[in-house]
Amino acid sequence: MQSKQMDPNQERNPTMPTQKILIVDDDPDLRQALRLRLRANQYDTVSAVDGYSAISQAYKERPDLIILDLGLPAGDGFVVLDRLRRDDKLSAIPVVVLTARDPQNNEQRVLESGATAFFQKPADNHELLEVIRHSLSQCGGKGLPS
Amino acid sequence: MNPATHVLLIEDNPGDADLVRLRLVESNPTIDVSCANRLAEGIVSLKEKTPALVLLDLNLPDSHGAETFRKVLEKAPDVPVVILSGQDDEALAIKALHQGAQDYLVKGGLTSGALDRAMRYAIERQALLRSLEISRKQQLEFKNQFLSHVSHELRTPLTCIHQYVTILLDGLAGDVTPEQRDHLSTVLRSVNQLGAMVRDLLEAARAESGKITLELGCVSIEELIRSAIAMLQPLASQKGVGLEAGVEGGISFVHGDPDRILEVVINLIDNAIKFTPADGAVTVRASRVTTDPDFVCVSVSDTGCGITVEARSLIFERLYQDPNSVDDSRKGLGLGLFIAKELVSLHGGRIWAASDGASGSTFSFTLPLYSLPKLLLPVITYEGRLREAFVLVRFDLRPKSRPARGNWKEVCKHARELLERCVYLDKDLVLPPMRTAGPEQTFFVVASTDLERSPIMISRIRGQMDKLPDLKACGSFELSSVAVPSSDLPAEISLQEKVEEVARRVTEIARAGVGIPINTQEE
Repeated sequence: MQSKQMDPNQERNPTMPTQKILIVDDDPDLRQALRLRLRANQYDTVSAVDGYSAISQAYKERPDLIILDLGLPAGDGFVVLDRLRRDDKLSAIPVVVLTARDPQNNEQRVLESGATAFFQKPADNHELLEVIRHSLSQCGGKGLPS
Repeated sequence: MNPATHVLLIEDNPGDADLVRLRLVESNPTIDVSCANRLAEGIVSLKEKTPALVLLDLNLPDSHGAETFRKVLEKAPDVPVVILSGQDDEALAIKALHQGAQDYLVKGGLTSGALDRAMRYAIERQALLRSLEISRKQQLEFKNQFLSHVSHELRTPLTCIHQYVTILLDGLAGDVTPEQRDHLSTVLRSVNQLGAMVRDLLEAARAESGKITLELGCVSIEELIRSAIAMLQPLASQKGVGLEAGVEGGISFVHGDPDRILEVVINLIDNAIKFTPADGAVTVRASRVTTDPDFVCVSVSDTGCGITVEARSLIFERLYQDPNSVDDSRKGLGLGLFIAKELVSLHGGRIWAASDGASGSTFSFTLPLYSLPKLLLPVITYEGRLREAFVLVRFDLRPKSRPARGNWKEVCKHARELLERCVYLDKDLVLPPMRTAGPEQTFFVVASTDLERSPIMISRIRGQMDKLPDLKACGSFELSSVAVPSSDLPAEISLQEKVEEVARRVTEIARAGVGIPINTQEE
């Protein structure tokens, strides 16, 4: 694992403690791609395939950040956002929405529902990583002194 | 005809009105006829009770000719109108037919049979037109939903390709040889092209159904052209095409949506680069329109292959692609210029192409200038006089942390909506937002209240803020106000001059505060 490739888009300071990101997407190929990209940036990842498991994984894993798709089986992204926001234990976790849906009809609603940022797929890797890094530094993830 | 048919007769000549009424009753004794002898009266009647049909004389004491029909159409677009014409103004009636009147009858030879028939047909045709219009709208809506669905479905696999290609390119799956890198870059370019096409499809459908909304502000056209050039410079250099700007000095700000105008400028420059051979040049210019000082003209010239005369008239149509264009790169969908045209006309401007045969072509479009006096006029004047006092309320919005661009845009939009809620229509004005370099945003409200009363405006804004905790959480706010002097203006100058002077003072105050230029038209 020592030879693990570094991402040229990398934003993080590698000396920081590892932070955990929950990837919620129903497309396995995309989950895998995000996992590769995030791990190359020294993030730990866990994943969920639908709205229901997103909430249970959030409880179990207590991620520092969630990347959330909107079109999901068993409770779409808005349901997940709503559940997260209403739960005291989970409401502080920043959520970055990454969806193929149209920003014109969804971006405002997503932000009003408590998400930190909205990205339409395919998103620019550099921008996505920058927002993830920024959101984590704002919310003071688990790894940081609170 | 339906016994309850209600007909509105708008006719100023009492003799003609009586005759028409008589013929109407002859054709159907139970018909319900309302008469109006002026247009204003007719319009009141139209609002009170929608008639099955309007019989309209075009020349009335308070309105003449085609204008009369236009006004009726504006108030009641769904009601069929039959023109009553005299023998000498038949041409006028025919003109009204072109504008959408259902039929016309010459008053001299009016029989009850002809009247009855004309009315029946007019009502039927109008009903048919209405149902066609409804089904057209339904089809558009269906098409929009379909395209939205398709674009979503296309984006998912597109994202997958994008993700894995960038993973390979970034070396996250092992080393890549220069040749492999080359091939992967080609794939990535194609993926981006495909993404742009999907976006254009949705955008074109939206433009067609009038679903594009503009967020108007005060935009520096020079700044905008420079950022478009900075974005496309790499593409131009790669192709060996020169790309430069020539903005006329003293160009004022335009009134428009910065993102949408940028989209148009990028589209035109991108096209110009595409059709210009190596060693050619693309020049972007902005200048005042000499024939209309309220507009700025932006043009993009290239030294490419030029456009044929036939192509020039078709080039802004949907899906049009010039069959004669000799272009080595792949073509797009042919939607870019159509979208550009729609965006420009939404701004109230126009777009056209000119070409000197084979020595290149120039695409130009116009945009309205941002004119503070014009915006201020209805707010600071009252019954033809300047209001006695007004203040400028400043609302500074600074992000608490560095936000993502889209999110901050959303916050600024909310802030603006909040201010809009605090002002009284016609009495106060939220000035269009001005572009600033950093994320800070300053809004100005021109409030027609004196300085002592301006705390009312400020507390109104604070009151609204308390209802928006999300907005409060995003940024820090500062509110201040300053009186705009106007009582010292010389009495002998015209109202227009007074308004211009006040606009100049507003500009000065705003500038002194934050260093943001708000141009008056005179600059």
